[in-house]
Amino acid sequence: MGLREYVVRRIFQLVITYWAFITLLFVLFRAAPGDPTSMFVMDGMDEESRQEIIADLGLDQPLYLQYVDYMGQLLSGSFGVSFRYREPVWDVLVIKFWNTIFLMGAAVICAYVIGVLAGALLGWWRGKRAERVGIVAGLMARSSPEFWTSIIVLSVFAFWLGWLPSGGMRSIGAEMAPSFSARYLSTDFVYHLVLPVMAATIYYMATPLLLMRNTMLDVLKADFIEIKKAEGLSELTILYKHAARNSILPVVTMAAIVTGTAMGGSLVIETVFNWPGMGREMVEAINYNDYPMAMGAFFLMGSVVIIMNFVADLLYVYLDPRVEYK
Amino acid sequence: MSKLELDDLRTYYRMEEGWIEAADGVSLSLEANETLGLVGESGSGKSTVAKSIIRLLPDNGEIVDGSIRFDGEDITELSKRELRRRIRWKEISMIPQSAMNGFDPVYTVGEQIVQAIRTHESDVSKAEARERTKELFDDLGLDEERVDDYPHQFSGGMAQRAMIALALAVDPSVILADEPTTALDVVIQDRILGTIKEMQDELGTAMVLITHDMSVVSETCDTIAVMYGGRVVERADAETIIKRPKHPYTLGLRNAFPDITADSQELVSIPGSPPDLLEPGEGCRFAPRCPFAEDRCWEETPQPETHGDGHVVECHRADEAEYLRKEANRPETWRTDD
Amino acid sequence: MSRETQGIDSMASDDGATERIRALAVRTWRTFVDVFEGDRMGQIGLALLLIFALMGMFGPWITPHDPTEINRDDDGSALRLEAPSTDHYFGTTNMGRDVFSQVIVGARASLIVGTIAALIAVTIGTNIGLISAYYGGWTEDVLMRITDIAYALPFLPFVIVLVFLLGPSIWSIIIVIALLLWRSTARVVRSQVLSHKERPYVESARAVGASDLRIMYLHILPNVLPLAFLYAAFSVAWAVIAEANVSFLGFGDPTMISWGQMLFEAYTADAIRFAWWWVVPPGVSIMLLVMAAFFIGRTLERVTNPELRHAE
Repeated sequence: MGLREYVVRRIFQLVITYWAFITLLFVLFRAAPGDPTSMFVMDGMDEESRQEIIADLGLDQPLYLQYVDYMGQLLSGSFGVSFRYREPVWDVLVIKFWNTIFLMGAAVICAYVIGVLAGALLGWWRGKRAERVGIVAGLMARSSPEFWTSIIVLSVFAFWLGWLPSGGMRSIGAEMAPSFSARYLSTDFVYHLVLPVMAATIYYMATPLLLMRNTMLDVLKADFIEIKKAEGLSELTILYKHAARNSILPVVTMAAIVTGTAMGGSLVIETVFNWPGMGREMVEAINYNDYPMAMGAFFLMGSVVIIMNFVADLLYVYLDPRVEYK
Repeated sequence: MSKLELDDLRTYYRMEEGWIEAADGVSLSLEANETLGLVGESGSGKSTVAKSIIRLLPDNGEIVDGSIRFDGEDITELSKRELRRRIRWKEISMIPQSAMNGFDPVYTVGEQIVQAIRTHESDVSKAEARERTKELFDDLGLDEERVDDYPHQFSGGMAQRAMIALALAVDPSVILADEPTTALDVVIQDRILGTIKEMQDELGTAMVLITHDMSVVSETCDTIAVMYGGRVVERADAETIIKRPKHPYTLGLRNAFPDITADSQELVSIPGSPPDLLEPGEGCRFAPRCPFAEDRCWEETPQPETHGDGHVVECHRADEAEYLRKEANRPETWRTDD
Repeated sequence: MSRETQGIDSMASDDGATERIRALAVRTWRTFVDVFEGDRMGQIGLALLLIFALMGMFGPWITPHDPTEINRDDDGSALRLEAPSTDHYFGTTNMGRDVFSQVIVGARASLIVGTIAALIAVTIGTNIGLISAYYGGWTEDVLMRITDIAYALPFLPFVIVLVFLLGPSIWSIIIVIALLLWRSTARVVRSQVLSHKERPYVESARAVGASDLRIMYLHILPNVLPLAFLYAAFSVAWAVIAEANVSFLGFGDPTMISWGQMLFEAYTADAIRFAWWWVVPPGVSIMLLVMAAFFIGRTLERVTNPELRHAE
């Protein structure tokens, strides 16, 4: 099978997965047992407005019509109106979406860069004391849920040392910049970004770190490593250009999974650091019974994961010249 | 002065239970443009010798005694850095058993050869190095265009040729070839050996050919050293080793391969298994498998003795070689009673 | 040749199969003992797990105070946010409850969720992996697409939404976690079964007319069980983390004390600034329990991958 065929097939799978995901969302939020309004409507709503909302949402229609309607809405980019903000969900989420992407994107990138480089080093150091220490540290990081690393990082750097702000995305009184770039390129933003990114990085780093070390151990046994040593190449060249480069494939495929975890982690980290992102919005939406919002946030998070899975697969093919397109 | 000279080399591996004496007092010499065959079963220490020369021993391996002189300089004394910059590949390169695994799978063969050239000759530009790689490919009977192919796109024989190109890339004076043709089928084996020989003559490179296959060395080598249990039990020029060997092990080895001697029709292998080299103690290491072993063979380690023109043998009964040769040709000699 | 590469050779008769399974059980047990004997980290993991298991089982009987009781000093006012003392080893919460007792009792929620969710997930995952690899074709296609979809769902949001829909009880937390957690087991078991399917012992079992079910569950399954155990250990770790996250976000079982919930309360009471004694014990407990599972998993990895066993 050629490369083009592989990509086409993969796109087809992407569409199927997406469709299944969207349908699952529908089932979760609409066909859940009981009358949805009893779960989702806000307190103190009278019967009249309740019926209004039901009609509004099309909940009095037969299920299959609701489904068709729902698909049509999603395809036209509409998530409905938030109960809580009384604004279209999309308008609220679009800003929060980018806030989350910047936070978690930075964290995943940091986690990968540090994890891959340090993991390669651990493999290189096999049998040494430093390797053992590194593994235990990695396992510790992996065993501490995001909220726990967040609390530690917060206690040390914000409360104890007072170096960095304890939460939020910009200093109190700072205006929200009108343009996209000004909003995310300001030093104030970066200043607030550091701590949550650090907390997330510690947790997400562990997976690439340990995986990288494991695959390194296999690669270092390969004949070509010995030849590269015999060629007189420097250790650094052998370690990173050859050994690490060959070990990176399984780590790349894990990227999609780590991104998935990071999407979920945004719920916790944004809650601890009061970060105005999609994750915290989702937690609040559920607490406020704002189900269009919760669904919109879930949809966006799932989309990121699905697309990352797709990208990781393509990247895999690009990185390994031997890959067979199966 | 020899190009490469090993004197009483001892390379041991540290284990929980003690030292494994993988190479125990190995002395060899290699002249410029000479081909030395290093023959023995797996576990005889031949690869350990090669790895000691280029110092690629595993973490638990250690050169505990002896010297390796390259152009008169003891390279066991060199720091890792010096070894890397002056000796590895520039002077001593190697051809591994399986060329396919000898290349990094994620870079093209050309990229890897260019990298080797530019590591040792920093003034060569990428384009020049690439040109040289193409020339090498051409010399070795490979299509020039294939420099841009990845290792997995080569066949076994082609990959081995590419590996030879890599080994010759910076014009070393010694090549260590560790079973370079074992993974290939016989016809290709011959062609590759022919190519190596040709290139070697052209460039004046010396080679250590490590193999378990008597027939390979008999065709290719000037001198042959036979290793057993970490020691060189016999060495001499190729003709002497093939026609008039003195050590019982060499005699046995000769029987195990077909086209060397016409005397024996039957292929006879040496019964028993290689010795345990974990602190073996005194006595000839071949004694347990030797049909001619006497009491003193079990008690005293035989020392290398010269018999005639550069023929060195480690055997208490080397003087009775005529008789041993005759006996060794009879298959019954090698049959164990049980 | 090792068991892993050869597969357990087949015998067709009934007695043969039971015999074989008994022999396998004995051998597996020996390997486990062997592997744990040589591994300090695995031993630490087992020891930690044992301590937490005792806490989980006997928690309510060994706590110095009732974990829900509001402790008061002599004049009757509640002992709010007291620092650790000989009476309250880990101090008290903002409601005057004993942190030490809460930590002990909290082990139960994590252990129940961790073990049961992992057990369900690994059972589902192993079966899906086994069936899809064994039958291949459209069965495999469908099952693997379902696995892909499971991978497309962000774990924590899915769990929270479902827990919210099903109501916050420990059982809904378990079910929801298991509902996604099976996916990784399914993938690894599938790839291992794929390699076993072609081995001689399966061929010969087929040749003597063994049924598909028999081949799958009596011949192939025993060979992939060590891998399933390994993923069970990992699944315990992931499930404990998931439960902690759910509780920390305030969706935990309100009738049970759990470590995540303790931190949720400390966080909402804004106590993490100063009441370290309320924050550190539950956090460290979560970390240690998860680490125990990972340590054990690392050791089990040597059972599934003999090369690691000899290398380290």
